[in-house]
Amino acid sequence: LNAAPGRAPRQQVRFLPAPAGSGAVELVAARVPVLADHPRVRGPRFRKLKIGAGHRLDVKASGVFVLGIGHGNKLLTDLYNCHLTKVYTVGGLFGKATDDFSDTGNLVEKTTFDHITREKLERILAVIQGTNQKALLMYSNIDMKTQEAYELAVKGLIRPMGKSPPIITAIRCLQFAVPEFQLEIHCLHETQQYLRKVVHEIGLELKSSAVCTQVRRIRDGVFTLDDALPRTQWNLQSIQEAIRNCQLKVETELERTL
Amino acid sequence: RRGLAAAAGPPSTRQLREAEEAAPVFQYAGKAARRTDRVFGWGFCYSGALGVPSFVRPDAGWKKPRRIQPTPYRLETEEKISSAACGYGFTLLASKTRDINKVWGMGLNKDSQLGFQRSRRDQTKGYEYVLEPSPIPLPLEKPQQTRVLQVSCGRAHSLVLTDSEGVFTMGNNSYGQCGRKVVEDEIYSGSHLIHQLKEFDSRVVQVVCGQDHSLFRTKKGTVYACGWGADGQTGLGHYNITSVPTQLHGDIAGVNIIQVSSYGDCCLAVSDEGEVFGWGNSEYLQLASVTETTQVNVPRHLPFKIGRVKEAACGGTGNLVLTEDGNVFVWGYGILGKGPNLIETAVPEMIPPSLFGRSDFSPDVCVAHVRCGLSQFAALTNRGELFVWGKNLRGCLGTGRMEDQYFPWRVTVPGEVVDVACGVDHMVSMVRSF
Repeated sequence: LNAAPGRAPRQQVRFLPAPAGSGAVELVAARVPVLADHPRVRGPRFRKLKIGAGHRLDVKASGVFVLGIGHGNKLLTDLYNCHLTKVYTVGGLFGKATDDFSDTGNLVEKTTFDHITREKLERILAVIQGTNQKALLMYSNIDMKTQEAYELAVKGLIRPMGKSPPIITAIRCLQFAVPEFQLEIHCLHETQQYLRKVVHEIGLELKSSAVCTQVRRIRDGVFTLDDALPRTQWNLQSIQEAIRNCQLKVETELERTL
Repeated sequence: RRGLAAAAGPPSTRQLREAEEAAPVFQYAGKAARRTDRVFGWGFCYSGALGVPSFVRPDAGWKKPRRIQPTPYRLETEEKISSAACGYGFTLLASKTRDINKVWGMGLNKDSQLGFQRSRRDQTKGYEYVLEPSPIPLPLEKPQQTRVLQVSCGRAHSLVLTDSEGVFTMGNNSYGQCGRKVVEDEIYSGSHLIHQLKEFDSRVVQVVCGQDHSLFRTKKGTVYACGWGADGQTGLGHYNITSVPTQLHGDIAGVNIIQVSSYGDCCLAVSDEGEVFGWGNSEYLQLASVTETTQVNVPRHLPFKIGRVKEAACGGTGNLVLTEDGNVFVWGYGILGKGPNLIETAVPEMIPPSLFGRSDFSPDVCVAHVRCGLSQFAALTNRGELFVWGKNLRGCLGTGRMEDQYFPWRVTVPGEVVDVACGVDHMVSMVRSF
């Protein structure tokens, strides 16, 4: 970053004595660069970079991780206050129960799972959506008796705009091949461990047990997998390009919500 | 010199894998695991209509009787309940079994609407409040062959529909709603009389109780009525009492009616072509789309352009219809479900399907059944979720809160809701476990 051509030095007007050889003793105005802006005087332009992180991502999870640089940190707080939903792909495995709900933990119990069908799973998912829908309405702190509450509910825009426990706004099954299954979860204010706990509870509801094998965030507010940079592209040009591409999206989203 | 045993150390991967394979496998549900059917009730408890005696008479002395049950509470029943009906302070549960006990009742019994429940203290008197589901003795000719198809409850009378022995009526008959001649100064409390009605043009397939009148729908599509008619709810062309079920004419003459509904003093009928007919009380704009009068005593066709109607439900002041594409329309007076601003309308208004869970994420969610209480409405979706809205009288909505609900709200029931019966201040639902 420091090797890139920096800002051109400021110019100033100084009155310098006339160049020797002309014989005149007078001051001539000349535009010279300010010495204070000389790279050797100033030093490297960037010595530290302020980088902030968006919503937390576990060690065992993967996916989109939003970082803000410099001014972006302030935008990060604004994005946090927008309370946008995040989308995760969660993979699970029936038949095992571990103490930390993932497949690397200590085994607690093994159960049978041949009675589980896709239909039963979808029924459980519908119930989860239903209870979370209620929680969504309750934690949004809107008086249910007002007309505006009704209109927001019709449009589906009621969301908790403050602190709230984790809420799942939508959940659906992408793949089901006994004993493995994959879910897509849209949620708010959650942690990855909570999602693993949800997988474990789905297993319990189906009278079996389940562990979570994979948690991958595919969308965080406005940032999707397409905007995210894979490990091979962690270099300056890609980062700068990505920042430029996202600026417009972030601005429109902030204006819409706040 | 004996060496000290080495410490265990963290188990290696191979040891972990072996331990995992050696662990026992538990089975919680086998291949033949069946979904059980359960009954849940909620609402006002003091009348005993919820069937849990400990709500009214607690087991321990220090416990206080529970006045309201705000969330669904499971009711243990011996048989699988196929049909339930809630009246004004009492409930009837019916099962399709061939055993002797087919119908159970609980709640108010001051007019013998639950039949005669012999009191254990005094063998000659009956119970006035029945706190537990108690079998109702029906005078069947073939008690081990006849099946009970459906039950219905009104203000102080109840109807039981069987498959081969007609309709049994019990309870208050001061307006002829039980289908028998009105006896002056008859004492209904502790009465053993259960009347049987068999003379209809074909087999009766649906019975509906209004507040003080009864409607019978036969297989041929005709509708019979008896009972109080001062609001024209019998639809027979006059405003007098009818004590014998008489066929209705008017706009439904010759029309094949597939469903009738009533709970207060207004009645709705749906034909096989999806048309809606109404008669009875119209003080709350229920029939104002065809007439200005407040009582309509002849069935009138309601010309609504909302599509084919599949099911209709009549409440005390508001009406609800369900169209074939799964949309719900409301009209009438009261909390209709479209926010606090819509109090009354004479023309049906649609409730946005997004309130029932339909969204871009799940676009195939639609309403499957609609039911009405006196001032509450209930809708069942095809995913087995129950939505209620309306006046929350003594906690009857089951939402857990005591405030009125101005738009459809999901009731948390542990299971898939198959059917729901709404009463004045309590509701009962039949649920299948997951």
